[in-house]
Amino acid sequence: MSSSLEKNMLILRSSDGEEFIVPEVVAVMSKAIKNMVEDECASNTIPVPNVDANILAMVIEFCKKHDESEAEAASDLKTFDSEFVNRGQEALYDLITAANFRDVKELLDALCQNVAEMIKGKSVHHIRIQFLGYQLFEILTSNFIWNIWCDRDFD
Amino acid sequence: MGASLSSLTESNGSSNGGGPGFGDIPESCVVCVFLYLTPPEICNLARLNRAFRGAASSDSVWESKLPSNYHDILNLMPPERHQNLTKKDIFALLSRPFPFDDGNKALWLDRVTGRVCMSISAKGMAITGIEDRRYWNWVPTEESRFHVVAYLQQIWWFEVDGVIKFPFPADIYTLSFRIHLGKFSKRLGRRVCSFEHTHGWDIKPVRFEFSTSDGQQASTQCCLDATQQDNANGNHKRSCWIEYKVGQFIVKESDPTTEVRFSMKQIDCTHSKGGLCVDCVSIIPSDLKDRRRIGVLK
Repeated sequence: MSSSLEKNMLILRSSDGEEFIVPEVVAVMSKAIKNMVEDECASNTIPVPNVDANILAMVIEFCKKHDESEAEAASDLKTFDSEFVNRGQEALYDLITAANFRDVKELLDALCQNVAEMIKGKSVHHIRIQFLGYQLFEILTSNFIWNIWCDRDFD
Repeated sequence: MGASLSSLTESNGSSNGGGPGFGDIPESCVVCVFLYLTPPEICNLARLNRAFRGAASSDSVWESKLPSNYHDILNLMPPERHQNLTKKDIFALLSRPFPFDDGNKALWLDRVTGRVCMSISAKGMAITGIEDRRYWNWVPTEESRFHVVAYLQQIWWFEVDGVIKFPFPADIYTLSFRIHLGKFSKRLGRRVCSFEHTHGWDIKPVRFEFSTSDGQQASTQCCLDATQQDNANGNHKRSCWIEYKVGQFIVKESDPTTEVRFSMKQIDCTHSKGGLCVDCVSIIPSDLKDRRRIGVLK
């Protein structure tokens, strides 16, 4: 099977068994995969546990775009990034864990910036209710505890 | 008890759907998120959950909020005040104004942007005739950061000079003088101003200047008191502190150390002038200054 592939292509297998064929330059944007390739401990098929096909496809899309557009205007890439990361909460969480776990720095930066924009200027109450799904009881108790813990914080 | 309760709330604290959500982002990612937020926002978010609290104490977050040469600033303090502090505590320490040079100068970081602000008391400047009590007096007051201002009764040669040498981090700074026309005091809990000595400032303008060690300079002139035309719409130059903006200078790198010489002069000896308080000179990043513009004259 490996012989049928071009030399610089890699196969990534998601946690639910789907396989993606990607150029090596794209795959090694993930530091974790890069290390595996460099140490030559990877056969052509690299398992990517904890990341399902859906998310893996998104990550690959992002890496491909960044690889292609290295020469392109930075502003185009910015627009792409901001559109790319503009997703629902759950996808965002999955993407962040994937980017963190696979160590894809550009993606992690873009995602974290997006999260920062989302929570900027919002109160802790608001964030708990909107993003964390806290109930009233939890807010009361946790607020009480954290306020004691964080008494010495300046604000 | 606290631990058991908070673990209860955190285990329930994931997103509505029951799957992992926003609240389960690992601490290392929260650190990355914090790089895009301001210190007050970070401190506020530390209450959110355990990962956020851990990230809000991490050195890498706070190192990015401190100016690049914060070691130079720490060197102004006695070492026992900043030894063994985390980066977060260092930020907290530096964001409160602290005096140096015998208490004649103060320095602090802006809480939101972490940029360096400085203020130099009249005590730290060379004032012509300051030792003669017929001309100048020191007046203790709560209205100054340094708790004392120089009050001029009357003089012919009005000159105030100063110099500051400090490795300012790269930025654009605005230098301004803080001046009050008339003498103020508290009477029965109310602030009252007296203008018995105030005269001469409407005749000729005062000249403000500064120059830096790398050759930048700026100067401006301004009548400190309202002239007769101004008086028609009420005198806005009395009974309040006014910051007279002298100009801006650019620092490209903190090394070499920037030296700034500044002065304020009215040396036309054909008339006397008096009745004025000099508090301090402030050097503040220009866009911070614009944000809180109060009575700044162009």
